Amino acid sequence: MKALANSRYVGLGVLAVFFVVAWFVVGGLDASAVSIAVLALYYGAAGTSFNFLYGSIGVFSLAQPVFLAVGGYTGVYLYLTYGISPWLSIPISCAVAGLIALPIGLASLRRPGAVMTALVTLIIAEAAGPVVSAIKPLGGSIGLYLTLRSSDDLGAMQFGSGVAFARIFLIVNVILIAGLMWFNRSRAGYWARALRDSPEAADACGVPVFRVKLWIFVASAMIAAPVGLIYAQYNLLVNTDLFLGTTTLFEVIVVALVGGVARSWGTLVGALAIVEISQNVTSATSSRPGYGPLTFACIFLVIALLMPRGLSGTWAAWWERRRRSPDQAGGIAAVGAPQHAAERMATQTPVPDMTAHSQRSE
Amino acid sequence: MFFGQLVIAGLLTGSVYSMIGVGFTLVLGVGKIANFAHGSFVGVGLYFALFMWQKAGLNPYEALVPGLLAFILIGWAVAELFEWRGRKIGEIGELLVGLALLLTIGGLLEVLYTDNPRSFEAPSLGGVSVFGATVPWTEIIAAIFTLALAAATYFFVRLSRWGRAMRAVAENATAAGLYGVRAPITQRAAVTASIAIAGVSGMFIAPFTVMTPDAGTSYLISAFAVVIIGGIGRTMGAVAAGLAIGVVEALTGGYLSSVWTTLAPLLVILGFLLVRPEAGVAK
Repeated sequence: MKALANSRYVGLGVLAVFFVVAWFVVGGLDASAVSIAVLALYYGAAGTSFNFLYGSIGVFSLAQPVFLAVGGYTGVYLYLTYGISPWLSIPISCAVAGLIALPIGLASLRRPGAVMTALVTLIIAEAAGPVVSAIKPLGGSIGLYLTLRSSDDLGAMQFGSGVAFARIFLIVNVILIAGLMWFNRSRAGYWARALRDSPEAADACGVPVFRVKLWIFVASAMIAAPVGLIYAQYNLLVNTDLFLGTTTLFEVIVVALVGGVARSWGTLVGALAIVEISQNVTSATSSRPGYGPLTFACIFLVIALLMPRGLSGTWAAWWERRRRSPDQAGGIAAVGAPQHAAERMATQTPVPDMTAHSQRSE
Repeated sequence: MFFGQLVIAGLLTGSVYSMIGVGFTLVLGVGKIANFAHGSFVGVGLYFALFMWQKAGLNPYEALVPGLLAFILIGWAVAELFEWRGRKIGEIGELLVGLALLLTIGGLLEVLYTDNPRSFEAPSLGGVSVFGATVPWTEIIAAIFTLALAAATYFFVRLSRWGRAMRAVAENATAAGLYGVRAPITQRAAVTASIAIAGVSGMFIAPFTVMTPDAGTSYLISAFAVVIIGGIGRTMGAVAAGLAIGVVEALTGGYLSSVWTTLAPLLVILGFLLVRPEAGVAK
């Protein structure tokens, strides 16, 4: 237990150091590097909402971009129509996203298995684009545009340079990662992982399985909405292509999966790595169309084949192997995607066999 | 006779959905793998037909034999990938591989053929006049192919030795293995067959389809819609569901605005999922 408590403070310390360093590094970057940083931090924050959902209860939802779009549309629409500051729209967008997530969760969460949920939520994500385009006040397929202010306007969340947005996203990332670290060790977090690893057993223990799943689904939507809102402010526009285009739809999820959901920082690392690589490839191919998305896809394919638990999952498995005695090392490497609960449980309880029955051996 | 024209158009579009759904229902019901890249192989078929026409001067029907061989090889390789990942990581491994293939194939097609929509009209076989509208022969051939494919799949899975083995494996792979069914090979065969069907379907619809690199996702969605409404593993259900979706799409597009062409089928599926949440749960 003592080692565990220490590791929590080590995690928070690393996060704090990262925050301070990144805060000042972002200030010294040139304009193009700042735009890359904003993109990476946006993907990191958006992907973390997926990390929360998939990592804690194993729900593989491709509908997450829908809630980003909900946030973006809420902020821009309220500002253009009623002049409400985007900062005040943040809680409103959370509420709207939660309301929209409820029926989506009801429709998609009852199906057993990650694959069915993934397919149903993919349909919902694909349907969202045409639905939004059909709603006239939301600007149809053109979307809604903000007019650029001549000077920085904190109330309207408009800033001349991207540095401010990079810092806002940095704060969001740090809050989300710290929140996720807290959640993973909270009672609710253990409940969530118990029902993910064995819904039947959790049900028998009195965990209201479907309700917990639904609430976490709604909560992850509410986390995603402000991220989308800020991203729309950064782009000065909101339309279906920004969040629900054919490639943008998947990129958030890909970033989270490349980073892995085994650790709360996985998504951010994945986002930084994948955006950096794809930017390099894009500039190396002199911005010919298609190479950016192809790089995303190829990195994802390599990760899916070689490290199915993502970067942080591989790191967690390596860490676990190093920590354990050699004769128990075999079992943990072969586990399925979001298995860190089993590991954590093994860390918590002194019984090493806890993990043995629930995992396939290599 | 506007209504009649719309129904005919809807049935022809619907037969394309059925065609793609038949392969998907096979891989989902028998192979027990939700191949996210299923629609992508339809897209590959489309561009393969375009490639053969531009580079070798072969029309899609002449290119069928090399196409079929190529897709069987590709299908077997992909089946091996699924098997390898599925054995180690389970369902999630297959999901990741499928999703990664979907994105990679889309990206590759975009790099090779750019984002611009492509189409080619070959062979020009003329058409027949129905309700005052001309229906091209290429679409009729595709519809006939759908029916033949569905019938062949149905009887193959019902009656043949391989089909029986596939159903046994779908029910319980371990027990089937104990009775001498080579389960791994049977599962691979189901995946291979579905991918070959998807690719060949793409070649059949190439003469009258506008192709874009992101076709994979939209075909995956139509395939899934067909399977959800028709029932997993049911060939004839897939045919009926595909035709129904096609007719709904054509009628709403014809009588309402064109926005509804894309919206209506999605709303039908969403409504179906909300009303019958248990739909799509494998038996």
